Amino acid sequence: MCDSNKNIYLPYLATVEEVIDETPDVRTLRLVFQDEQVRESFNFRAGQFAEYSAFGAGESTFCIASSPTRKGYIECCFRAVGRVTESLRRLEVGDTMGVRGPYGNSFPIEQFYGKNLLFVTGGIALPPLRTLIWNCLDLRDKFGDITIVYGARTEADLVYKRELKEWEERSDVKLVKTVDPGGNGPEWDGKVGFVPTVLDELAPAADNCIALVCGPPIMIKFTLPVLEKLGFGDEAIYTTLENRMKCGLGKCGRCNVGNVYVCKDGPVFTAKQVKAMPLEY
Amino acid sequence: MQKQITEANLRLLIDSLLLKGQRVVGPRQSGTMVLYEPLASASDLVTDELPRRSIKEAFFPVCEDLLEYRKEGQQIELKDIDPARFPETVLFGVRPCDAAAVPVLDAVFSWDYKDQFFLARRAKTTIIGLACTTADDACFCTAVGLSPNDPKGSDLLLTPLVGGGFLVESQSEKGLSFLEAWKDRFSEPDDTKPLPLAQPAATPFDLKKIKAWLDDHFEDPAWDSIATRCVGCGACAFVCPACHCFDIVDEGSEKAGKRRKFWDACGFSKFTNHASGHNPRDLQPKRYRNRIMHKFKYYDDKFGQTLCTGCGRCIRVCPVGIDIAGVLEEIEKK
Repeated sequence: MCDSNKNIYLPYLATVEEVIDETPDVRTLRLVFQDEQVRESFNFRAGQFAEYSAFGAGESTFCIASSPTRKGYIECCFRAVGRVTESLRRLEVGDTMGVRGPYGNSFPIEQFYGKNLLFVTGGIALPPLRTLIWNCLDLRDKFGDITIVYGARTEADLVYKRELKEWEERSDVKLVKTVDPGGNGPEWDGKVGFVPTVLDELAPAADNCIALVCGPPIMIKFTLPVLEKLGFGDEAIYTTLENRMKCGLGKCGRCNVGNVYVCKDGPVFTAKQVKAMPLEY
Repeated sequence: MQKQITEANLRLLIDSLLLKGQRVVGPRQSGTMVLYEPLASASDLVTDELPRRSIKEAFFPVCEDLLEYRKEGQQIELKDIDPARFPETVLFGVRPCDAAAVPVLDAVFSWDYKDQFFLARRAKTTIIGLACTTADDACFCTAVGLSPNDPKGSDLLLTPLVGGGFLVESQSEKGLSFLEAWKDRFSEPDDTKPLPLAQPAATPFDLKKIKAWLDDHFEDPAWDSIATRCVGCGACAFVCPACHCFDIVDEGSEKAGKRRKFWDACGFSKFTNHASGHNPRDLQPKRYRNRIMHKFKYYDDKFGQTLCTGCGRCIRVCPVGIDIAGVLEEIEKK
């Protein structure tokens, strides 16, 4: 990492092994590193992010959405909203793209051993927690109850639909899925309501429980008070921030929230840390 | 080590370096501006004007290639940049406010991940500073703890002498070996007095007091009154010797092109814009606040240094007359 002769901006090359459409504009890419040595040595922890490039368009920042327990590939999941993400979406199976990383800190998963886990997330913010969800499910006996509260504006906006089904069917996970009022079709078998409201009704016990929250700023804003009311302490709540980044290396100067660099000090923070930050995320 | 050199010998020295094929950069006329650019002969050197942009571009150019890519079928071929492409360079006539910013930039480009583009150039460059004997109304190096003959960042420091010529003081191993390599051009110092140094009008700021205010005034009505008029042109960041924000952009087609690093500025409205359209710094005062916070609080929190050397360039170029020294003065009074 600190080899001074290395070009820190040079990405690894990866082949698109699989393309999965999560929603009409959200896509998952499964990537396999082309260099055998990189394939073997690339190690990351749940919560870390990478810079993904479509050559000719540039780089975009997303978390690594697959679990570190699943070897041989990584996945990213993104909504096509700009130049780079539109170009990434045009990639087909067998195409080559660039990956720099892994960067940033990670969820302190070892500290969660023996505890109950409550995941609270919305829309396109599931991927940053999905890496941890699978990481925990793959080490299932190390944790107590696992509850996932996941919402989206509409049924169509739910990502990882096949995995939601899998989690629903597993007896060792409790999935509570919800859509915003008006977002439900005739077949919808989940809840209808905003994530904070659904969480309030569910009222999970805070005792020996870690809450992992990721969502749009508005969801976070209304979810934290609910968690507090339920008795979750500031240090029992984790979130992951996603400010705009370019280098991912603590140099280019744009992802800071006050004096905190999301790319180096984060992206994973406790609610206590977030509360100490100025509103700049 | 102290030596002395005549004006004529300094020019001869530059020409000898150039004859040897050495790259020599110094202030010279470039179009309508004086800039730090490669000299073709010693006569190009301009010593009586502060270059429009700072010396940072000798290590961190306005734009530079990071890699080249070429697509063949579904495969991409990447070409790395060979650090050997960065030539050995001697910088002449670097103003102390510029030279002092180089060690400040070392901190960000070498902490944790090493940016070889900056560091390789840094290793191959000798900085010959030149003390200032004149200052204008915008100069305020003395207010941020530096001085018109501050040696910080220089390998050799030249101080103009009465009647011409310069006192030469080595400040580093690099400076010493340069003196050794070119000893014939230098003489032992005699009793000639140095010219009086420039005296910027600015009085020293209490930077600790300013930082203490910044520490707990992220939200304050002062930011609106200070920076509502900022038009977000980014000129202050581009002329600043210490600003180092950058963007990474691909230039070319899907078939072939380059990935390049460009100067960027926290004053630009899209700088922090999220893909969702949400922008944490959605208004200009918030962006200007970041500029002041980064320079006088965040960089200090992280690296124990101030990200400003008082060169005054941002004051000279601001189209709406925002005066950073005035802003600091205002904060200091709070």
